[in-house]
Amino acid sequence: MSKITVAGVRQNVQELLKYSNEEKKRNFLETVELQIGLKNYDPQRDKRFSGTVKLPKVPRPNMAICILGDQHDIDRAKHGGVDAMSAEDLKKLNKNKKLIKKLARKYDAFVASDSLIKQIPRLLGPGLSKAGKFPTPVSHNEDLSAKITEVKSTIKFQLKKVLCMGVAVGNVDMTDEELVGNVMLSINYLVSLLKKGWQNVGSLTLKASMSPPRRLY
Amino acid sequence: MKRKVAALEKVDADLPNLQHKIRNDPLSYQQDFQAQFDQYASLRELFLQSPTTTDDSGVVRLKDLIDFVSHVADCYPTLTSSFPKDVSSLLELHHASLDAELRDKLVGSLVLLRRKDIIDSAALLDTLWPLLLNTPSKSLRELLFTKIISDLRTSNAKATNHKLNRHMQSKFFDLIASDPASPKCLWPVKITRELWKRQVWTEAKAVAVMKEAALSQDAKVVTGGVRFFLGGDQEREEAAAEEDQDDEGHVDIRKLKHVAGINKKSGKRANELKDAAKKVKRQERKKNAPQQLNFSALHLLHDPQGFAEELFQRHLQPAQPKVRLNLDQKLLVLQLVSRLVGLHKLTLISLYSYFLKFLVPKQPKVTSFLASLAQASHSLVPPDVLEPLIVKIANEFVSEASAGEVASAGLNGIREVCVRQPLAMTETLLQDLVQYRKSKDKGVQMAARGLLSLYREVGAEMLKRKDRGKEAAMGLRTGDKSSARFGEVAAGGIEGLDLLEKWKEEQGINSENEDEDAGWDNWDAESDDSDDGEGWINVESDGEDIDISDSEDEREKKAKAKAKAAGDGADKDESSKPEEAEAALKEEENRISKLATTRILTPADLAKLNELRQTAAITAALPANKRRRIQQQQQAAAERHNDDALTADQIEGLASLSHKMTKEEKLRKAKGDPEERNDHRSSTAKRKEQKRAEGKSTTNKEKARKKNFLMTIGKAKRKGKRSLADEQKIQRGHISRMKRGGKRGNMG
Repeated sequence: MSKITVAGVRQNVQELLKYSNEEKKRNFLETVELQIGLKNYDPQRDKRFSGTVKLPKVPRPNMAICILGDQHDIDRAKHGGVDAMSAEDLKKLNKNKKLIKKLARKYDAFVASDSLIKQIPRLLGPGLSKAGKFPTPVSHNEDLSAKITEVKSTIKFQLKKVLCMGVAVGNVDMTDEELVGNVMLSINYLVSLLKKGWQNVGSLTLKASMSPPRRLY
Repeated sequence: MKRKVAALEKVDADLPNLQHKIRNDPLSYQQDFQAQFDQYASLRELFLQSPTTTDDSGVVRLKDLIDFVSHVADCYPTLTSSFPKDVSSLLELHHASLDAELRDKLVGSLVLLRRKDIIDSAALLDTLWPLLLNTPSKSLRELLFTKIISDLRTSNAKATNHKLNRHMQSKFFDLIASDPASPKCLWPVKITRELWKRQVWTEAKAVAVMKEAALSQDAKVVTGGVRFFLGGDQEREEAAAEEDQDDEGHVDIRKLKHVAGINKKSGKRANELKDAAKKVKRQERKKNAPQQLNFSALHLLHDPQGFAEELFQRHLQPAQPKVRLNLDQKLLVLQLVSRLVGLHKLTLISLYSYFLKFLVPKQPKVTSFLASLAQASHSLVPPDVLEPLIVKIANEFVSEASAGEVASAGLNGIREVCVRQPLAMTETLLQDLVQYRKSKDKGVQMAARGLLSLYREVGAEMLKRKDRGKEAAMGLRTGDKSSARFGEVAAGGIEGLDLLEKWKEEQGINSENEDEDAGWDNWDAESDDSDDGEGWINVESDGEDIDISDSEDEREKKAKAKAKAAGDGADKDESSKPEEAEAALKEEENRISKLATTRILTPADLAKLNELRQTAAITAALPANKRRRIQQQQQAAAERHNDDALTADQIEGLASLSHKMTKEEKLRKAKGDPEERNDHRSSTAKRKEQKRAEGKSTTNKEKARKKNFLMTIGKAKRKGKRSLADEQKIQRGHISRMKRGGKRGNMG
């Protein structure tokens, strides 16, 4: 594959959505993942990269989110129907590694109020940051639900110990227009992160949870 | 002559001769070999009965025989099936009492057997490895070390021998894990480090061995392990760079061919050409080979948090640690811990209070401690943990009374901490420290300015109004610049995308009907060259018909999408006021993503983006020198990645400015590079030499100018005495020659 075209992406997205929604409909909401293979990349010389980008449409609406907050934020959370924990609840975990790990596993992301977030490393130790789920701060004058959608729609590109990675960019409930937008933005952002741009990209593959992979590039 | 050869043949001790003959015809010399082998067996029996009392000649004979047998063992596999085992058992049992030469010969013959593929690498290493650990002889240890390394390298040369590597690595690991206090563990460390450097071992298991070493209980082993993590990767990079340079020697094959066409043809020249072609091919293959995965050892660690905690608790925290480390060694461990903390953003709260007692100017190597502290701070460290440290540095180092170097080191240290965690600074302290930019001492001045410029970027509202500077003050007023909150991760966008968009609008390029293919032209020039066949096919197969139909498709859809978006916007506006914020959010989103979500950025787009980003950052209104300075700063900032370590030198910074140079130092500096200064030739001469070095020849004019005068004098004399008729004739000839196109012209 020598290049990637908008038309090609659009066609692949349409086919993928058709497969997942009509041909083989599953009993759960399938997530669409963008899988990336890098090439000509020396992680030591070129340095590792990481970056977050906010997608126009929330890729995984069913993400479980927990609010770690003071009384005000807990009230707001309850109002919005989101799980919440107070500082006392966290203290009850007693720095127990297993409990903290369990907490980190239970939720996909955390949001903490400004007053509490500085104590998080003290209260919970390394558990949350180890899982890559360090909370996002929210202040009292910010809209909580907007914050939550922001957290949900933010994806992270991070190179680990291998030269490939996958990020969730959408789900099969989205219209093809929305999905194409998400995919394009992710691809463009990724390429802008890479030192040599497209010369570092080995392959791009689009895949829903239960669909066969589709090669974009 | 014949008689002499015959006589030699009779001497049965002529083993090399026999070896040569066996090589040519193993079957017919089987008898002879059998005789020698029997002799070897009996000598061995004798030796085994009394290893210490065997006389010298017997040992020499045994040594020769072993050498002989190991050289031809591949010709008689059945006869010598027990031979490798005999040799290794001899080594294992008697290595301490053996004669040094015989011992080395035994090792050598084992390696030879491995090279002939009679034994496998695992068997060889299983013999040599325990020997390395147990032998009291230093020379043998050295020999064994090189043999082990070379065997591991050769068995990994063509393809990674995972089985063998795993076997050896688990051996190493078990050794250190079972007996962490023994100094023997230094050998696994040495071997692993060497193999890491040679890029033979690059995987996580090797790193696990070193991790175990760093946590062992012997000071040397600990420092060996720690040093590996701190410098192993750099060492590997340097070794790789050196290797590249070795066989770099760029060959210009076209030039060589040209030369070969002109010069006299000889076998030697032809061979040279062939060699060069081979070399070029090799280089080409190397260039196209898939790049190795070079993850740094620090990234391959399995559990960095656990490792950092363990290191800290074992070697640094306790007042009476199990391993006695001196200050330098402790500092190394501290550097590793802080590097891990900074790199992986670990939470190790007790580490910071540990620093407290070392942050005094009198402490030896205090700059290294400052550097470690800065390395250990990152955006997820609670600011209230770092604050007392910064206050302490400010109190101890930065005062009017302290020496310039001390104050500048303190300020630099504070700045480096604050680069990583800006929230650790308090407003009053910052305003106080910024005052030092008026100091008389140059080093302090620069350090304070550094701090000031940092906070203009990351927290301008903490500075006094007059210190904020134009840009930061304007940013504050418009609200673009607000300092980051704790735990906040700024969502990245594609930097400069709006610039690109604007540029496209200005150029009148509509993002919808622009020819996308144009952006991809010539982007992958390198790879296209290598597989030239494919390039053509690609161009053909990316058929236009598909593109055209789709672009039409697209246009329609986009129009629809736009209409829809407009409709949405209208709905929002009409609906209700509380949703205004959301609407604004949506609007912003649309603005951001218009280009990024509807187009793929082509290589050409990316290049333009880069260019625009650079020009936009440096406003044209600035004077040239200021612009340059900003550019340099940006470049330096871009080159510094948070994967890089911070060194004491960076903390010392411009301390040299605070220190008055002595006369000698000034002289040395003024002299500069001696070679450059002693070159008194004219610039023309230098340029000419450079031309010559590049292999370029002289012009015809230059040749004429240089021609020996005596060679030209005859013609010059004749020229003056020519008759008018002659002159005319010559002139005519010249004109007609010119018309023809020179002496060899073929125009008639």
